[in-house]
Amino acid sequence: MAAKGKHALSLNILAQCSTSKARACLMSLPHAQVDTPVFMPVGTQGTLKGLVPDQLRELDCKIMLGNTYHLGHRPGPELLEQAGGLHKFMSWDRALLTDSGGFQMVSLLELAHITEEGVKFKSPHNGTEMLLTPEKSIEIQNSIGADIIMQLDDVVHSSIEGERLEEAMYRTIRWLDRCIKAHQRPTEQCLFPIVQGGLNSDLRTRCAEELIKRDVGGYAIGGLSGGESKSDFWRMVTLSTDLLPDEKPRYLMGVGFAVDLVVCVALGCDMFDCVFPTRTARFGCALVKTGQLNLKNASFATDFRPIDADCPWPCCKNYTRAYLHVLANTEPAACNILTVHNVAYQLQLMRTMRKSIMEDKFPDFVQQFFNDMFPSGEFPDWAVEALASVNISLR
Amino acid sequence: MKFSVEKVVGGGRLGSILPAGRHENAVIETPMCTLFTKVGSAPHLGYDMLKRVSNIPDIATMSLGGLAPHHENIREFGKGLGEFTALKSNIIFTTLHDASFAITSGKNDRNGVALWGKGGKFKMDPSLYVKVQEAFRPDWFQALSDGDTDKDTGKKRLIKAVNNSLDFLDNTVQLLQKSEVLKNSSLIGAIQGGFDVEERQRSAKETSARPVHGFLIEGFEKGHSGLDLFSLESFSSLLAKTVSCLPENKPRIMETAWSPLQVLRAFKLGIDVFSSVYPYLLTQKGQALITDYTIPPKSASAELEREQSGDCLPPNSGLFIDLTNKSNFEDFRPVLPGCDCYCCSNFTRSYIHHLLNTSELLAYVLLMIHNFHQYFKFFSCLRKSAREGTLDDLQASLELQSS
Ligand SMILES: [Zn+2]
Ligand SMILES: [Zn+2]
Repeated sequence: MAAKGKHALSLNILAQCSTSKARACLMSLPHAQVDTPVFMPVGTQGTLKGLVPDQLRELDCKIMLGNTYHLGHRPGPELLEQAGGLHKFMSWDRALLTDSGGFQMVSLLELAHITEEGVKFKSPHNGTEMLLTPEKSIEIQNSIGADIIMQLDDVVHSSIEGERLEEAMYRTIRWLDRCIKAHQRPTEQCLFPIVQGGLNSDLRTRCAEELIKRDVGGYAIGGLSGGESKSDFWRMVTLSTDLLPDEKPRYLMGVGFAVDLVVCVALGCDMFDCVFPTRTARFGCALVKTGQLNLKNASFATDFRPIDADCPWPCCKNYTRAYLHVLANTEPAACNILTVHNVAYQLQLMRTMRKSIMEDKFPDFVQQFFNDMFPSGEFPDWAVEALASVNISLR
Repeated sequence: MKFSVEKVVGGGRLGSILPAGRHENAVIETPMCTLFTKVGSAPHLGYDMLKRVSNIPDIATMSLGGLAPHHENIREFGKGLGEFTALKSNIIFTTLHDASFAITSGKNDRNGVALWGKGGKFKMDPSLYVKVQEAFRPDWFQALSDGDTDKDTGKKRLIKAVNNSLDFLDNTVQLLQKSEVLKNSSLIGAIQGGFDVEERQRSAKETSARPVHGFLIEGFEKGHSGLDLFSLESFSSLLAKTVSCLPENKPRIMETAWSPLQVLRAFKLGIDVFSSVYPYLLTQKGQALITDYTIPPKSASAELEREQSGDCLPPNSGLFIDLTNKSNFEDFRPVLPGCDCYCCSNFTRSYIHHLLNTSELLAYVLLMIHNFHQYFKFFSCLRKSAREGTLDDLQASLELQSS
């Protein structure tokens, strides 16, 4: 095992909310200094839905995601290595994170079959039998060259309980050890283990306890955001952050709805990713502080306001909702404009949270956020409970 | 709008357009192309991406098919189409049809013209037409016309197309007298007549006799057909004979999807203003323009492999590479080595091939930038070449590259 401090990641905690578990940090990676809490947009196949890297730089985006499952198929690790890694291939000089490919495999492919060796699946491209082992996942991720890489984990649906869940948790730990061993570039890429254990507090506790015995640079919280009840969801998140050490970043995988982001920052998470903001843009939806606007809706035909008057980017400085209504129904250019806006919204939300944590005014921010999002004052019960658990009581 | 010819070279006119109204301080040199748009936006490119293209044409063409159905909302907006579409610094030229696809034939009659957009057919008569234009407030606008003809159209139908178009024009001119909003906008007459010299010349003369500021020559194909008009024997002489009936001091516009070589040929026949739909059509097929405009052509791009798949474009449509082709898989060169566009400065063929292979939108964004860049650049090369007396060399070079 590598000596302490040799990871490709270091975390500097800049401020800790005096009420909740929220914190603001600076995370140093080979390709970027990342302010946390951070939202990482998902560029599945080496591109973020029609945006060029310059547009992301202009939005001050420091880190984005690539998907190992997709990139491993097309263009494939050999080509990425030839290109000098994904950074060079896609002309993105800031930080990247790749997942292990396991989650996609299990969720996208019906015939994935998990054994101790790895995940067996039929290639969707040519139908041949393939096997993704922990070693193979790390090998591909080493070729891609992202700043942060993920261990292969044994993913089970959040509704699974009992023996299979326990097996998956222990296998995830065994696979972590194989990943650590297989990792060829530990000083250039930081490997994150994943806390599993489904909705079982006991299993999740045991998993986290095992993981923290290993020398790793940060931790991911997995197996959530899979359709479980919000009440279970937040309890598992807060349990995980309680168990994980303060001095390392915590990445809550697959979470990106604004309300979830605010609650989970309060519960002590630092990093988030989600396809939702970019996917919803493709369907003509724009994120705003009151929720989202479906611009394809006829009600926007004569709405000559920008999406958000406070948004400083080209999406809102140049376009009216009425024109985007026309465009969203017909042209791909609309998707580009709305993607810029939605990514900008997510990043701005994180920046605002961070600023409030630095000023130790995070609870005020949370109150304001919920007032804007739910003007009726009817806040979701789970969010009220979750926030109360970290001493933030919504009025 | 005023137009003047400075010099005639090889039949082509080096000219300049002095726009009226809000753009009266601009001088636009011809031959030139307009910015092709879809529903009022550069294809694939939002405002901040379009900014990354250099030499964007001053005039943006907006076809009415996708926009006319929204005219009441745009009237309520009150500031015209340029402001509505975030292209307010451009001169807005509204045309009837989107130059990138064929129109459904047989839907025009003496009462009106069918326009085509995503929502289907939108029928316009002269009074609705003027109402729509008043909402849109274009700087230039194509007269309502019946251009639903091509090489196979019979004489009877051609006579009707010419007559219908002249009737629409007369009606429109009359209605425009009462329009305060459009008094600074320039009406562009549309010349019809299919492939019949007599009807072409009648249309040209009759339209010239009416108060129009320029001419859009159409009716050779029903929208975009993919046919190389120059491959039809009669086309060149027909176009020359049509143009000979038009006055010197007004610009002549054609919206045909033309490669650089075809543009040069049409320029020599007297056409001044072209569309930039050609680079859009290449982009949609994953193709990139790599024609070399230097004289003599530098080896760099002349050496490039030629892949004239030509499944939709005719084989002599210029030089382009097909980035969907597997040969680009590990080609880490830019699309066109030496091209200083945003795409070629930052990305490789290999990456764009990957984006096309995975159906990512960014492929089309990047190819649109490159293809626009190269096509816009061609027009400044064409003007320079005409001015410096090297037009024949440029033509020889383009012909060589396309052979
Ligand atoms: Zn915006
Ligand atoms: Zn280029």
